[in-house]
Amino acid sequence: MPSITRTVFSLIVINKAGGLIYQREFQPGLRKLSTNDYLVLAGTFHGVHAITRSITPKIPIAQPAPSPATSSPSATAPTASGYSYPNPGVPVTGLDYLETDKFRLTCFQTLTGTKFLLFTDPLTGNVENIVQKIYELYADYVMKNPFYQLEMPVRIRLVHILVSGDDSVSYTKTTHFSRTIERTQQGGSRIQDKQK
Amino acid sequence: MSANKTSRIGEETRVDKVNAELVTLTYGTIVAQLCQDYDSDYQEVNKQLDKMGYNIGMRLIEDFLAKSGVGRCANFKETADMIAKVGFKIFLNVTPTVTNWASDNNQFSLIFEDNPLADFVELPDDGRAQDELWFSNILCGVLRGSLEMVQMQIEAHFVSDVLRGDETTEMRVSLVRYIEDEMPPEEE
Amino acid sequence: MSYYFTILSPTDTPLFNIAFGTSKGGGDGIARFRFPETAQYMNQFIIHSSLDILEEAQWTNGAMYLKHIDTYPPAAAYISAFLTPSGARFLLLHQPPHLPSSTSTGSGLGSSSLLGSAGSTTRASSSSVAANPTSPQTEEAVRQFMNEVYENYVKTAMSPFYKQGMEIKSPVFRTRVTAAGKKWL
Repeated sequence: MPSITRTVFSLIVINKAGGLIYQREFQPGLRKLSTNDYLVLAGTFHGVHAITRSITPKIPIAQPAPSPATSSPSATAPTASGYSYPNPGVPVTGLDYLETDKFRLTCFQTLTGTKFLLFTDPLTGNVENIVQKIYELYADYVMKNPFYQLEMPVRIRLVHILVSGDDSVSYTKTTHFSRTIERTQQGGSRIQDKQK
Repeated sequence: MSANKTSRIGEETRVDKVNAELVTLTYGTIVAQLCQDYDSDYQEVNKQLDKMGYNIGMRLIEDFLAKSGVGRCANFKETADMIAKVGFKIFLNVTPTVTNWASDNNQFSLIFEDNPLADFVELPDDGRAQDELWFSNILCGVLRGSLEMVQMQIEAHFVSDVLRGDETTEMRVSLVRYIEDEMPPEEE
Repeated sequence: MSYYFTILSPTDTPLFNIAFGTSKGGGDGIARFRFPETAQYMNQFIIHSSLDILEEAQWTNGAMYLKHIDTYPPAAAYISAFLTPSGARFLLLHQPPHLPSSTSTGSGLGSSSLLGSAGSTTRASSSSVAANPTSPQTEEAVRQFMNEVYENYVKTAMSPFYKQGMEIKSPVFRTRVTAAGKKWL
């Protein structure tokens, strides 16, 4: 089955508090989890992500002498006053991606704490580009919608993010105002294609 | 990040253009309407503008990060440069000067040579607006909102405005604290 | 030459008034009308009385600047007009200084002309802006003046705190009109 090698399966967006705010499949006929399962998945991933940040190994800070003029042999020994990450200039990111034989999960966390989880085929290339474009669409069509409440589920029917096989991302606007939103359990809602 | 590189990001980031007069008139109308709605209670108008800006900032920051593609700033000085040379450049096409650093490097001023929001504006001559209204106060809110989203609690206010007859338009920005984790403690 | 400049809203409400004198040819920019006692209301009266002519003239061509449209001989007052597309009227009354060899238009003034005896004794060349209200040079100067005022009028009207049809109180606008007068007239 060579045709499935460059595939994006689905996208999940998690807000900074760990709540699921958007979920969508890009492959027709994918087996769906229940909304509750998605919420649990989002919350769990959020926790795991936080753990991976906090278990990042820290090394003791090599304390420089308090003042070079009075340096003594004892000052060269690292004091246990503090620990630092191996490369302090680079921020700790936490889990970036997770790979299995069958799929690869790429996690992109913005500086504001929102996480974009993209499920792709392990062989799909250029995932960073796809995520970046999705982030731009999110900034444009979600954040700039004045009626979108921050940190709440994205239920904008205007945006249908389509990820095609090649790494291009495009969007279409639906102009009809018929209800395409299926309200599900509280806290989670999903966009359903009217056509389906 | 070097200052030059920061400027270049500001220059090169592609943004949709919109007619400047449209922005100026829209913003001016909002302020004038607020003044009317609050019966010229300018303290309240300042507060409302700041609040509106705060809400804008919380959304705008995502646009800023997505379009400019910049990463986290290493210190507050870098943040100040980023605000002036990238943020203001791409959203208002001005580059305020960063100056008057406090000795602890946690406070600086932005001096606006040019303020597109205030073109054509003359404050009401009721004798109070000149002393009480900060016409461009929305900008303070925008900074507060956007920096809060990237884990910085700041305080911003105008200290002078050419509209009031001052020599310069100056905004004072002070870092209150870094918000240590993006998650509230009870979520952990 | 002395000038009296008025802006009228489309509904004939006066929005702005200013009186000033020429700054050309060594003028000091101070208005010296021929009849200082009555000038304050007479100037307004003369300007408003030219509105009928203005309303006829505005349909003759599509130009915004209508040049010299009316004369009021007893006061030697010349009126130039400029129309904005939104219907505001800029009217400029200009009055040459009283000359000993005054034109015959002043003949009906009778005794009141004595009041203007302090008129200038120097005579500028007839083509200069300061002396001849109908010369092409004057028309051109007034055109420049009107355009500059128009530009500033638009900016003033764009101020969010200015309401259409309200009197223009802006000191900035007044300063700029004065500057324009100094520059061109």
